[in-house]
Amino acid sequence: MSAADLTPGRTTGPATEVVGAVATQVATAPTARPRRHVSTRFLRSELRLIFGRRRNQAGLGILAVVPLIIAIAVKVSTPRAGRGPDFFASITSNGLFVSLSSLSIELGLFLPLAVGTIAGDSVAGEANIGTLRYLLAVPVHRTRMLAVKFAAITIFSLVATVWVSLVGAVAGLALFGGGEMTLLSGTQIGMGQAVLRVVMAPVYLGLCFASLGAIGLFISTLTEQPIGATIAVVILNVMSFILDAIPQLSWLHEWLPTHWWMSFGDLLRDPIVWGDLTRGLLTAAGYALVFWLAAWAHFSDKDVTG
Amino acid sequence: MSIFERRPALRWAVPAVAAVVLIGGGSAVSGLRAIAGAGLPDRSAAQLLVDVRQARLDGLSGTVVQQADLGLPDLPIAGASGRAGSTGSSDLTSMISGTHTVRVWFAGPDKARMALLGSLGSLGESDVIRNGKDVWVWASTDKTATHYVLPSHELPNSSDKAAGKSRATPGMPSPKDLPISPQAAAERALAAITPSTQVTTSGTATVAGRSAYELVLKPKEPTSLVAQVRVAIDGTEHVPLRVQVFAKPVAKSASTSLAAPVFEVAFSAVDFARPDAAQFTFNPPPGTTVTEGKAAIDPKATADSKTKPGTKTSTRTVAPHPSAADLPKTVGKGWGSVLVAKMPVSDASAGTSGSTGAGTVADKNVAQLKKFVGLLPKVSGRWGSGHLMAGTVFSALLTDDGRLVVGAVTPEGLYAALAGS
Repeated sequence: MSAADLTPGRTTGPATEVVGAVATQVATAPTARPRRHVSTRFLRSELRLIFGRRRNQAGLGILAVVPLIIAIAVKVSTPRAGRGPDFFASITSNGLFVSLSSLSIELGLFLPLAVGTIAGDSVAGEANIGTLRYLLAVPVHRTRMLAVKFAAITIFSLVATVWVSLVGAVAGLALFGGGEMTLLSGTQIGMGQAVLRVVMAPVYLGLCFASLGAIGLFISTLTEQPIGATIAVVILNVMSFILDAIPQLSWLHEWLPTHWWMSFGDLLRDPIVWGDLTRGLLTAAGYALVFWLAAWAHFSDKDVTG
Repeated sequence: MSIFERRPALRWAVPAVAAVVLIGGGSAVSGLRAIAGAGLPDRSAAQLLVDVRQARLDGLSGTVVQQADLGLPDLPIAGASGRAGSTGSSDLTSMISGTHTVRVWFAGPDKARMALLGSLGSLGESDVIRNGKDVWVWASTDKTATHYVLPSHELPNSSDKAAGKSRATPGMPSPKDLPISPQAAAERALAAITPSTQVTTSGTATVAGRSAYELVLKPKEPTSLVAQVRVAIDGTEHVPLRVQVFAKPVAKSASTSLAAPVFEVAFSAVDFARPDAAQFTFNPPPGTTVTEGKAAIDPKATADSKTKPGTKTSTRTVAPHPSAADLPKTVGKGWGSVLVAKMPVSDASAGTSGSTGAGTVADKNVAQLKKFVGLLPKVSGRWGSGHLMAGTVFSALLTDDGRLVVGAVTPEGLYAALAGS
């Protein structure tokens, strides 16, 4: 009944997890109304699978290295105003900018790669090691499985962005201290307001990356090679950045999944410019919806061999 | 569920329909703006002009989107910046091309603020804030603030003039002086109304969700490159909400008659409530390089006291400042007027090498500019010879003897002006 029932199965290893999952599903079914209990249980077991894996933990560790490097590098040699990547020159005045600098640096490749890895692994990974078949053998509807997988991807991408900015904020505050924050508009806000805005940035980006995760989920249903799905996601991400940089395709830009990501900087204006942020969230929601439905359309009648 | 089980291919219709609906819905939202606003009583062009002149604005805040497609090649020093890898879109100098978003606040004649947001992908902002006699110019990318104190007799000016003034100060490079707010742009367009212009109205339009009248100005001058200027005027507040400039189609490709404006300033959102007074206070944040600029009224003094070497000095070489004896003069009138100026070539190089630190950058920019001019097509005539840059709505000609001729006219119009001057 308790969460502990699931623990031996899906977290200790691929070989035994199926047995555990099947056993618990069967065990819980007669004793309780299964719908409510199973709904969070499946997600919890999925999250435990994602965050319990060594490689994912190592990935989160690597993501955390960037803010540390930034904080130390800026501490060692202070950048001149107007030089270096976005927000760099502001770090010395307020450590919270480490968090924003790391987000703007990692949103090009690192964070999309992390989300792409999880998303690519979501279905193809299970198919690859042969657990997908068993997962579907228990009374889990395929639609619900895709919903849970996507929920887990969204949670992971939020955790990853929040994690990066948390490490950045802690490192920055430790090395440079906090205090009033100077916004892009030249006005200053208090520490409480500053923290609020620095929290909003990773949440916005996390939701944006979740749309990339939906694309990854769809690709993941097409293949049984998780690495292939991951590479495809990263290629699409880079491709989107390239298309965004070609001025002749300006009509396409506002439709690209990556186009609005840098708009998180609008959170640091006074007052906040919500227009592009809203567009970014709507675009992300649109991509998520279309590609989740595409995953559903393809996966619902797919022959599962793995 | 059953229909999907019988015909699995039908499932694909679901994401397809979702995609079509989303794309269609997204386009429809932008398309809605084009649908003409209804419910406005008819108004003649003359009435509209009076409305605009009498419009009293208590306060306003909004977002202005400016788009320019002047047909200019990218200047090698566009953005006038020696920084490597700067896409420099929040620089005020970069307004000549591309799309720019400006947020404006306005409360009474002596309180105004405009914030030029960097385009997507570059996090920067340039602000011009006027509060009483104080004008602050803030640039977030290099964390500099310049402070100007306006002479007291400037105060009664309207805020748009003030915004224009502060942009025109030597510290604030504004090549070609493109109008930034719709008001300033409209004023300029209306000022050009002479007997040479055919003024009509063309129904109504919707700008920033508000119904507006449209005023159409058609130049009669044959050499003018401007086909028409359209000014959308708010139906209730009588404030210009949008100004569009359409170029005459090039003779060879007559198909693109009035396809897209070559220049447009329009509110994308506007609110006529008086903005909070706190919006107009500016205190330079710690770590800012603060420069006290001279008032805009004395160009000679300001030309010498360069605030920041590098970027601004180099701009000065592009847009010659009337500091020398060769003041630019205007030839012709109305739409056919042409500006003839002498390029301060020697003066420029002397001035830049004098400024410390940035000399190399500025020299490099001058060299780049010379190279760039050399790439332009060479033309010659009775007036001499030179290099011609033909844009969509204006032409510029740099003669070999150092004269610069600019006007919203065809190259032939420039030659005529040169021959006459």
